[in-house]
Amino acid sequence: MKRTSTVLALAMAATLAVAACGGPGADNGGEEGPISIGVLSDLSGATADVGTPYSEGIRGYVDWLNAKDGIDGRKIQLKLNDYSYDVAKAEQLYSQYVNEGVVAVQGWGTGDTEALRQKIAQDELPFMSASYAATLVDPSETPYNFVIASTYSDQMRVALKWIAEDAGAATQVAVFHHDSPFGTSPVKDGAAYIKDKGLQLGYKAYPMARGATDFTGALSQARSQGAKYVVIQNVSSPAAVLAKNIRQQGLGMKIVCLNWCADELFIRLAADAAEGHVMVQPFTPPSVDVPGHEDPANYLKSKGQSLKDKGLHYVQGWYTMHVMAEGLRSLVKDGKDVTGANLKKALEEIDAVETGQVTPPIDFSADSHEGMHGTSVYQVKGGTMAELAKAVRP
Amino acid sequence: MSTFIQLSVYGLSNGAILALAALGFVLIFKATSVINFAQGEFLLIGAYTFYAAVLVFGFHWSLAVLVGVLVAIALGVLVERFVLRPMIGEEAVAVIMVTIGLASMLRGGVQFFFGTSPKETPRFLPGESVSVAGVTIPYDRIAAIAIAALVLTAFTLFFTRSRHGIAMRAVADDQQAALTMGISVRRVFAMAWALAALTAVIGGILLANLTGVSQGIAGFGLVVFPVVILGGLDSVPGTIVGGVIIGLLTQYVSGYVGGGLEQVIPYVVLVLILMLRPYGLFGQVRIERV
Amino acid sequence: MAATATGVYHRSYTSELALRHTRAERARLVLVAVALLALPWLITPYWLTIANQIGIAVVGAIGLNILVGYTGQISLGQGGFLAVGAYTSALLHLRAGLPVPLSIGAAVITTAAVGAFFGIPALRLKGLYLAIATLASQEIILFAVRNWDAVTGGVDAISLPRLEIGGFVFRKDFHWYWVILIFAVLAVVTARNLFRTGLGRQFMAVRDHDIAAATMGIDVTRAKVFAFAVSSGYVGLAGALTAHYTGIVTWERFTLDVSVLYLAIVIVGGLGTIAGTVYGAVFMFVLPALITRIGQELSASFPDIVQRFPAVQIVIFGLVIVLFLIFEPRGLDRIWQRTKDYIRYWPFRY
Repeated sequence: MKRTSTVLALAMAATLAVAACGGPGADNGGEEGPISIGVLSDLSGATADVGTPYSEGIRGYVDWLNAKDGIDGRKIQLKLNDYSYDVAKAEQLYSQYVNEGVVAVQGWGTGDTEALRQKIAQDELPFMSASYAATLVDPSETPYNFVIASTYSDQMRVALKWIAEDAGAATQVAVFHHDSPFGTSPVKDGAAYIKDKGLQLGYKAYPMARGATDFTGALSQARSQGAKYVVIQNVSSPAAVLAKNIRQQGLGMKIVCLNWCADELFIRLAADAAEGHVMVQPFTPPSVDVPGHEDPANYLKSKGQSLKDKGLHYVQGWYTMHVMAEGLRSLVKDGKDVTGANLKKALEEIDAVETGQVTPPIDFSADSHEGMHGTSVYQVKGGTMAELAKAVRP
Repeated sequence: MSTFIQLSVYGLSNGAILALAALGFVLIFKATSVINFAQGEFLLIGAYTFYAAVLVFGFHWSLAVLVGVLVAIALGVLVERFVLRPMIGEEAVAVIMVTIGLASMLRGGVQFFFGTSPKETPRFLPGESVSVAGVTIPYDRIAAIAIAALVLTAFTLFFTRSRHGIAMRAVADDQQAALTMGISVRRVFAMAWALAALTAVIGGILLANLTGVSQGIAGFGLVVFPVVILGGLDSVPGTIVGGVIIGLLTQYVSGYVGGGLEQVIPYVVLVLILMLRPYGLFGQVRIERV
Repeated sequence: MAATATGVYHRSYTSELALRHTRAERARLVLVAVALLALPWLITPYWLTIANQIGIAVVGAIGLNILVGYTGQISLGQGGFLAVGAYTSALLHLRAGLPVPLSIGAAVITTAAVGAFFGIPALRLKGLYLAIATLASQEIILFAVRNWDAVTGGVDAISLPRLEIGGFVFRKDFHWYWVILIFAVLAVVTARNLFRTGLGRQFMAVRDHDIAAATMGIDVTRAKVFAFAVSSGYVGLAGALTAHYTGIVTWERFTLDVSVLYLAIVIVGGLGTIAGTVYGAVFMFVLPALITRIGQELSASFPDIVQRFPAVQIVIFGLVIVLFLIFEPRGLDRIWQRTKDYIRYWPFRY
């Protein structure tokens, strides 16, 4: 016993020494050679079910692009790691990426985006993520954050506009949201919109507790509010539980999902409880055919997979990386050094990036890092998302 | 009124499952004086084993339940033999930490094989609802209450009538005396853990039917603590009462007050009970005070 | 058993109470000091970030060890106290405009007070009941933080500007290393000293046998409340440092998992020893980082592995705790003692 513990102790010391010495070398953007982009993915954490296809979309795009000769001959090198939605790990990985000389970072969730906000500004690294909070679009506050899709607040406005039109008369709206900054992000802006436009909508917010097994209590409060419409700002899994509760209790409320529960996963988890509900989704799902789906679909087919299986989050990741690549392309074409600061300017100066109608063209400027305004609206019909209204502006 | 009935039904069904999970907890504590922080993870394993048996291996749900039961018994026996037996005689902190470490291992293991995304549930409880007095009550909740009640009754009978049950109570009361009576304490310990895993697995299967298979089920296990403290750490009827009370209370608070308060209410109850009556409603007055 | 050297005789109380008795011990201390001073230049930024996290964890875990290891009170509520320290310091700095050193000081005192309050159940409960009560306090504190919008901003994250003292901005991990090192060293020294004083010995007496301690005239109530207060003070300091180091304060950083991690650090390191706490902190942070690194290396050849690795990490976390408790319940400190003995007594067995 003593022997083993001594050997263990020595082995530990040796490993530590070896590990401490090692360290990756530095790559750089510069003038030639591969362009390094750091990617933070959630492949096994709380949001892994949507984080995985998103991450695969980014990887797929880079793979496809590199096969097509990359960016004017220069390949993109992804440094991709799983941070399991653990913000501390995200920070560690970020400092590793900085040390490895990345020129930009693809993040994922609100947690890491918020945590790294100041650091990326000081390190001058453009940051794109799937967190569409309205607080990230003002370059004077967050100069290096770029928001590809319409913000949660914008999505909320579109949702409320649709509800007002669908109801035709005064009605009540219950907003069920995730109990976090991600969840509360659009709530106030929604209330402000109702006031601005003079919509006759009652409006009340209900936080959805994490790990809750049912939302009966909150739903009975929504029922006494008289809510006929339920806007959900949450991810698919709890949204599906809510949808099933509504159906089971025969409440007859119509659900309007914002982008994070407006996906195939929600439909799959809620099964027939998802039928007829409305989805606000900035990225066109594979169930609605647009030219922009061709490239990812063909790429996946060549790998023996199908876009319909991967779902719309794959498309989301694909085109998010595409926008960054277009910025890089303009830099390389102009013969400029590929650095973070230059990429920021390039993204602001280039014309609107086309995505083959998967989204409206994405455009940034020096005054606004909000890539698009308004969003399309879909409805669940027969187990898939069918288009209800295209490119609705609030 | 209809809100009240609806909240009560949901509260009772949650409470019944809580009571099942807590029962296992109490079993282990009574027989071995160990606090099992891994009870939530036992629930988790129950749910995922059921899911795997039905969706991955394609068994019929009744066979899947049987598989779950067997896995539970095996798990309980193995845990007792390899993790808990070396810890006999160690201090409380160490034993608590060992069960916490075990919980991590089980959770990581489930995550390794199944990932973190929630799974579609193989259901065997009827999904429709019935309308009673203007309230829509889903069948599956009622079925869950019935099944849980059945299992709880079975266990109560087991403890009061069967030889093994009485042997467990004897060991819980006084190990030395039980040994002199020829009761195999080792076997009782193994049985306690096996039964605890069994009740948790059944609870997990029920939860899977009601709310889906996901990692959140382990969080359900934390609420077991307020239940057992309220009921009394060494009382089986107390656990049942405690489970029902906590289940109902949580739903009522959620329905009438809201704002997320229902998440913390069980813990407030816990602290209050610990300060006022630490041995719970039905527990024996055996707590040392300073 | 004997871990001290032979041939060491004390002729005064001062020399008996000294922390280092032999030349070998002092030499090792100097080596450690030199290593710590040289470290930031020798390791990569990735490991420097981890070193900073270890430093903060050392401060917090020492607090926990004072409570659990030296006073025998089980506590699962550290996450809550970390949150109290972090939010207090952040809010005082942002809203009241206090300079950071003062806000950190205020955070320490506030957390100590809160800790003393939550220690009141300890006066009536022991062992696992206390553990469960502290678990409840953890959940209650987090709930209060999440919902007390007026003060804490509710669920929103509080963003802190970089620490600035006299015009110098602490931007890089390199700068923070020195700040954290100073606090960690202070924590270690003060804690070690605490147990040379009467108060510290009272804590240990309460742990060993509180009734006997009471008969000896120790006010057990006062000792327990003090233990909670002192311990929470350290933990609050760790929380405040986390807030200013990372620049973000959110309740999600202070959940039950963090409490469990701290408890694991203390137990794996060794209950009731300060050195053990340091070893435990190093171990419990370096191990996951190593696993992540290995995962990154392997991901080139086995891309599917990347997905499973966090699960592997969780399993290994649990496995480490279980194995340590089964095979060496007294932790890394004991392993180190046995190593020293082995070397000292070689080629003899004992």
